[in-house]
Amino acid sequence: MAKEPVAVTIDRVTRIYKNVKGRADVVAVDDASFVVKPGELVTLLGPSGCGKTTTLRMIAGFDLPTKGTIRIGGEDVSSLPPNKRDTATVFQSYGLFPHMNVAENVGYGLRIRKVARAEIDERVKRALALTGLADYAERSPGRLSGGQQQRVALSRSLVVEPGVLLLDEPLSNLDALLREQMRVEIRRIQKSLGITAIYVTHDRVEAMSLSDRVIVMKDGRIRQIGSPSGIYERPDTVFVAGFVGKVAFFPVEVASTDGETCACTLRGKTVQAGSRAPDVARGKPAVLMARPESLRIGAPDEGVVDGTVRQNVYLGSSIESFVETEYGELLVQIDDPAGKRIAAEGDRVSVSFNEAQVRVLPASAE
Amino acid sequence: MFTKDKLIKFFLALAVFAAVDGWIFTTMQSSVRASAATVRKNALVLLAKSAPSDPGLLEDWLSTVGTSLPGGAAVYLTPSIDDPEVYVPLASNETVLKLWLDVAATEDAKKGLESAYYFEDYASAIKAQLNGTPVRLFYAPITDDAQAELLGIAVFMAPETADANVERLLLGFALGAFVLFASLSGVSRFVRDPVVGFSVLVLSALAIVFIIFPLAEAFRLSFLFEGKPSLTVWAESLSGAHLQALWGSIRLGIWTASTSTIVGFLFAFVIYRTSARSKKFLSAIAQLPVISPPFSLTLSIILLAGNNGLITRQLLGMQNFSIYGLGGLVFVQTIGMFPIAFLTLAGVLQGLDATLEEAALDLNAGRWQVFRTVTLPLAVPGLLSAWLLVFTNSLADFANPLLLAGNYRVLSVEAYIQVTGRNDLGGGAALSLLLLLPTLTAFFIQRNWVSKRSFITVTGKPNLKLVELAAPAVRMTLTAAVWFIVAFVLSLYGTILAGCFVKNWGIDYSFTLSNIGEALSRGKEAIRSTLSLAAMATPVAGLIAMASAMIFVRKTFAGKRVLEAVMMMPFAVPGTLLGIAYILAFNKAPFLLVGTGAIIVISYIVRELPVGIEGGVASLRQIDPSIEEAARDLGADEGLVFRTIVLPLVRPAFISSMSYTFVRSMTAVSAVIFLISARWYHMTVLIYNFSENLRFGLASVLATTLIIIVMAAFGIMRLLVRDTGAFDKTISR
Ligand SMILES: Nc1ncnc2c1ncn2[C@@H]1O[C@H](COP(=O)(O)OP(=O)(O)OP(=O)(O)O)[C@@H](O)[C@H]1O
Ligand SMILES: [Mg+2]
Repeated sequence: MAKEPVAVTIDRVTRIYKNVKGRADVVAVDDASFVVKPGELVTLLGPSGCGKTTTLRMIAGFDLPTKGTIRIGGEDVSSLPPNKRDTATVFQSYGLFPHMNVAENVGYGLRIRKVARAEIDERVKRALALTGLADYAERSPGRLSGGQQQRVALSRSLVVEPGVLLLDEPLSNLDALLREQMRVEIRRIQKSLGITAIYVTHDRVEAMSLSDRVIVMKDGRIRQIGSPSGIYERPDTVFVAGFVGKVAFFPVEVASTDGETCACTLRGKTVQAGSRAPDVARGKPAVLMARPESLRIGAPDEGVVDGTVRQNVYLGSSIESFVETEYGELLVQIDDPAGKRIAAEGDRVSVSFNEAQVRVLPASAE
Repeated sequence: MFTKDKLIKFFLALAVFAAVDGWIFTTMQSSVRASAATVRKNALVLLAKSAPSDPGLLEDWLSTVGTSLPGGAAVYLTPSIDDPEVYVPLASNETVLKLWLDVAATEDAKKGLESAYYFEDYASAIKAQLNGTPVRLFYAPITDDAQAELLGIAVFMAPETADANVERLLLGFALGAFVLFASLSGVSRFVRDPVVGFSVLVLSALAIVFIIFPLAEAFRLSFLFEGKPSLTVWAESLSGAHLQALWGSIRLGIWTASTSTIVGFLFAFVIYRTSARSKKFLSAIAQLPVISPPFSLTLSIILLAGNNGLITRQLLGMQNFSIYGLGGLVFVQTIGMFPIAFLTLAGVLQGLDATLEEAALDLNAGRWQVFRTVTLPLAVPGLLSAWLLVFTNSLADFANPLLLAGNYRVLSVEAYIQVTGRNDLGGGAALSLLLLLPTLTAFFIQRNWVSKRSFITVTGKPNLKLVELAAPAVRMTLTAAVWFIVAFVLSLYGTILAGCFVKNWGIDYSFTLSNIGEALSRGKEAIRSTLSLAAMATPVAGLIAMASAMIFVRKTFAGKRVLEAVMMMPFAVPGTLLGIAYILAFNKAPFLLVGTGAIIVISYIVRELPVGIEGGVASLRQIDPSIEEAARDLGADEGLVFRTIVLPLVRPAFISSMSYTFVRSMTAVSAVIFLISARWYHMTVLIYNFSENLRFGLASVLATTLIIIVMAAFGIMRLLVRDTGAFDKTISR
């Protein structure tokens, strides 16, 4: 399955669903632009209803943009029907053909392409082997487990060697353990084939763990594009910061900005934050964000703010400690708890952070 | 989608096509004109030859010209004695003479006379009006046998209606070709899914031409009297006698609907709420009459209880008993239609969660109390639904009243008599339109009101539990009643079978096999044409039904709701109305179809489509759309998706819609009786003819043959689809 991977370009794409019977128009996707590089796996991440599926369906051709263009491998495909696009989709509900067995399902796309019989057999066999289904070729899809059905759907899409592989929440119908396994497997296969892939999910762990880059969406608009670590460590908005991981916010006043960093005042003390979002400026409302792993618990009056330990959750490699403060309940992550002295539930403590690891963001809720 | 570039190209293509189309049309038009002119000329020359040389016979000859030249006439000009260049005209009447005198002085007439003077024919290019018809003048010299002397000149005034018709047809073709080209190229240029675009186009054309147009024609013609707009037809139709027939239909509908619902509920209750035995058998017998051919039950009732009936006359010796009339009709219709109520109510009782009744029993309610306070109230929407369905069917029923109404008048038969007996198509149309009022009302109430109040709980799991809802004594009574009805139904079929082998029912009961030979040889043609018409309609109806279902469920396009409503309309249109509407609409250009097999096939398709579409829609709704999207995504176009994915997945619905169409087409009568011709006959009509002529033996043989064919079709269908649920649902229309 050697084929030059292709790029996907979404250029200022908008999709508006016209109002149906007096209801307002729905702007499902609002002026979205991004580029997926050849061989890259990009995730569309966002809360329910943010327009992820709509974006994916426009790339596949099931839906048409109201405005804007979509290019696959340089060709403008904006108005082509799905069967004329070099994409293959793995559906959330799999969409397996119930009247065909596994091998026939996987071979369907090849038969449509009029590939020779012998070659079909050969390629189907290879695709099934790749997903570990070699023994199930003759089964009917109704008699497979969820995970196996998932693999059939994946094989069926891969066997036609599409330029772009599209996956719409492919793991959401699986149980937690299987989900983790399949996640790893999909990434392995995608990498080994070097295929361009776009993956839709609302699960941030999934997005972080398998993507080259993540696109965070909300209300139809793209909020941020970046590598998983970039999105996690350097979000540009309060929304992105909160959506991709647990986080504590402290309202601050910006004193001065300087390149990538900024100085601000928190409870009368000056904090030299490690980084800042581009939109932060003196005089504009701002917040300081700290991830649980950059927060520390100390003796009362020693840290930034005092509070009471409400609950400790033991997770093996770490402990999550919930501390009630005037900024709400802050989550502090204590790594390698073994041998450390842990404040007990009900203790008065203070919470502080590592200045180099915190970031200042504009305060708006978006 | 609509780019400027595309639009310009589109209109350019249209312009080119229009030019070519127009050029072809004008060429063909002129060649048609030329050949028509030659034909006319030859005819006229021949006619001129028949002119008598004896002046005394001229007047007679002139009057015969009118008959050989319909709408035309001739003037005979005799050169006057004094001046051979002055002619004395002779005509058969004043109008013709006046017309000649009007044109005589024109240059054209002079030219004509001059040609004739030199023994030459002359066809004038100028049109004149004779009694409102456009005519052309043709000058023919009349010579003596030696062709030496000019005896006179015949000036024919020949109408040109004939070639005008041909020209209109040509124009129709040219315009049709243009519209076709415009829509096809428009769709393929501007619609992203051309297959869907074309399907919608085809369906819309079908709906307009074969549903809306004929009904509109029926409506329009009911407002015409002798070609002029008038309310005469309606005044006549709304007069006492016909209103009485309307009331007769409604009264019959109310009675039949009520008794059928009771019997249907009895069966459904015994089968689904008691522990009676042989339920499969009971349920099969309860469905038998729906698929039995028209006239067969009536025939058997007449054999048993008619004027020479076996029971009434031979066994009981009754003299004054008459089965003909309301009583007999309600009886026969109930036997024929209680299955509709049964199938509806069976669905309801199966769908009602038995846990509810268990809960009531658990709360210490008695069985009768449970029935009264839980089962019955929950079944009310179903009962209403069943009642309305039977009501509609009873009103639209034509076959039973035709044989059994006697002096009792119902609208469907009245409309038939108006058309065939009095040859009054407009009146028939008005009467059958009158019938539409109650049927449409019942249909809409059933659709939009009753069916939305259903309590059926869709759990997806079949309800295997059974709650015994009848005390033993009650159960025995009910079961006995059910078995009595079953025995009766079976004996009706037995009677038909017996009728095949009886020499002369009512008079001579001796055994014979001669009926079979005679009926089959006299019915051979009818059997062949009935079978082939049904066989033609079947796959087409099935495919169209599935394609429409696919489009209605999966696609969005402007006007979808309207198209859907129109396609479903024939459901509520009585066959009598459809039949009359079809002969009104399709006996003239541009759709000259009356007398062809095509019109019968089309009427089958149009009538049975709604049921097929419903089945397809229900089955498609169960299918995850991403299955089709996956196929699409893997490179299949709309057509391939339909063929390789949709059709196999809706197979049960597809097959049952086909067998439904087949069975209904084999047993059709109400619409088809208007559409049959000598070449395309229908077995049911032949059964009717035999019964009318008291040839009951022959009628029985044909009815039995029909039952066997229908049963065979049913059997094949059952083999092809294991799950017959879809069919059971579709047949209860
Ligand atoms: N066919 C449609 N007609 C009208 N509105 C629609 C249609 N399809 C989607 N929408 C609306 O567009 C918005 C985006 O929908 P979309 O399916 O892309 O969300 P999503 O991000 O995939 O959500 P989820 O995570 O729940 O799948 C939603 O508000 C949805 O209600
Ligand atoms: Mg979605």
